[in-house]
Amino acid sequence: MSIPHVLNRKNRILLKELTKTDFKLRYQGSVLGYLWALLRPLMMFAILYVVFAKLLKIGGDIPHYPVYLLCGTTMWSFFTECTSQGIQAIVNRGDLLRKISFPKYIVVVSATLTAVINMLINVVVIIIFALINGVSPSPTWLLAIPAILELYLLSLGIAFLLGSINVKYRDITSIWDVLIQALFYAVPIIYPITMVASTSEIAAKIILLNPIAQAIQDIRFGLITSTTITSWNYITSPLVIIPIILTLGFLILGATVFRRKSKFFAEEV
Amino acid sequence: MKRTLGTRTEINDSDAPAIAVKNLHKSFHLPTEQAFGLKQTIFNRLRGIKGYKEQKVLKGLNFEIKRGEFLGIVGRNGSGKSTLLKILAGIYYPEKGNVTINGALVPFIELGVGFNPELTGRENVYLNGALLGFSNAEMDKMYDDIWEFAELKEFEDQKLKNYSSGMQVRLAFSIAIRARGDILLLDEVLAVGDAAFQKKCEDYFENLKKNNRTVILVTHSMDNVRRFCTRAILIDDGKIIKDGKPDKVADAYLKLWS
Repeated sequence: MSIPHVLNRKNRILLKELTKTDFKLRYQGSVLGYLWALLRPLMMFAILYVVFAKLLKIGGDIPHYPVYLLCGTTMWSFFTECTSQGIQAIVNRGDLLRKISFPKYIVVVSATLTAVINMLINVVVIIIFALINGVSPSPTWLLAIPAILELYLLSLGIAFLLGSINVKYRDITSIWDVLIQALFYAVPIIYPITMVASTSEIAAKIILLNPIAQAIQDIRFGLITSTTITSWNYITSPLVIIPIILTLGFLILGATVFRRKSKFFAEEV
Repeated sequence: MKRTLGTRTEINDSDAPAIAVKNLHKSFHLPTEQAFGLKQTIFNRLRGIKGYKEQKVLKGLNFEIKRGEFLGIVGRNGSGKSTLLKILAGIYYPEKGNVTINGALVPFIELGVGFNPELTGRENVYLNGALLGFSNAEMDKMYDDIWEFAELKEFEDQKLKNYSSGMQVRLAFSIAIRARGDILLLDEVLAVGDAAFQKKCEDYFENLKKNNRTVILVTHSMDNVRRFCTRAILIDDGKIIKDGKPDKVADAYLKLWS
């Protein structure tokens, strides 16, 4: 997997065409088609907003809370879509792996790129909502870029790692489904981190050591409000680099395991 | 589960043979009982059961293919022909020994790889083309020729699921023959379509032969072996038992059952 190999013409064509196909097939046969890429997260947001902001009255102290919530749910959906699709990519594309020879990472990356496209469309929606909500455009918006990239690399690392194991042990798909449910509550998406901090500062700090939480809070900090509590402004010790180390760790471990196992995907899938 | 690995190298040397295979071995680990799933694997480990059975498929193959040769590979079902082809194509890893491929190789293990029934004929042409390494722009150029050769132009915007299986194969074949490459690997793709289409396919193979392309053809049709091949090998139980003139090898193949 050297660099020229990654950028090689044939692989680029393949990656593009597989991503296009994935995206087309996702909404094949539905009346609203691609609109679902927008509607799904908006609907999830509407439910969470009614339940948490209106009924349970959470988040009153956060400026632009609805957009803040939308931003969190969108990025969470991006993470779950990326990992679930990525983990299943090798099994789903088993027919290709068994019949042609090409670098296997292409199927994983193409599966996650559909999630990237969906996320980018939704970022546009977030920005529109933010402007309507009175957030003024600011250079801090650019801070969201490295944070989104980090979230993507983390997802990719997880997809490579668990996807390789999933070829032989399909239990991984089910385990990940459950794990992701648990993770959802471990990340301050629907509840503000201040709620946790008010009872236990340690707990809040531990939550913010999770790279998913760190990335999402950074994106909110950049896009929505600089009052957002992030890992950087809340954790004062050098431990604050733990999320970055975890992200790189997953990426390196995932890539290494994938490289070793991918030689046998064609016969095991 | 530790596995040893052989090598597969790609070179570009006009003096060397198109393909060189040295002492090639391959075996598969076939799961015994229900070894899929985490629970069963853990139980098996605890009980000291391996959970798989080793199936030796190729047991030390040695051969070279010269440039311009039209090589037929024949043998019974399960003799290891397709496994060999998949190793040459780089789909499976050799377990022991080495394989050297000299030049650009185009494998047709199956026609219409990646064809999706939910997509239209047009979309499938571009997708399948990408799998063969063609960009959109290149596909645009050959697009009309593909449909003309397949004689299916009026169905281009229909979903593939509405094609008959014969039509799908014709379309797939028409795309496949566009692929460039120095070495072609063909697995049983001669027998497609009706008599008229068969004729077209045969012309295509005649053409390959005339142009001195290096072709490796896995087939059960001894007629095709005698007609197109310049050389053939017979594989049985993972070993080459006959290598030489197509006529001789075809006779040996038919004798396997007598």
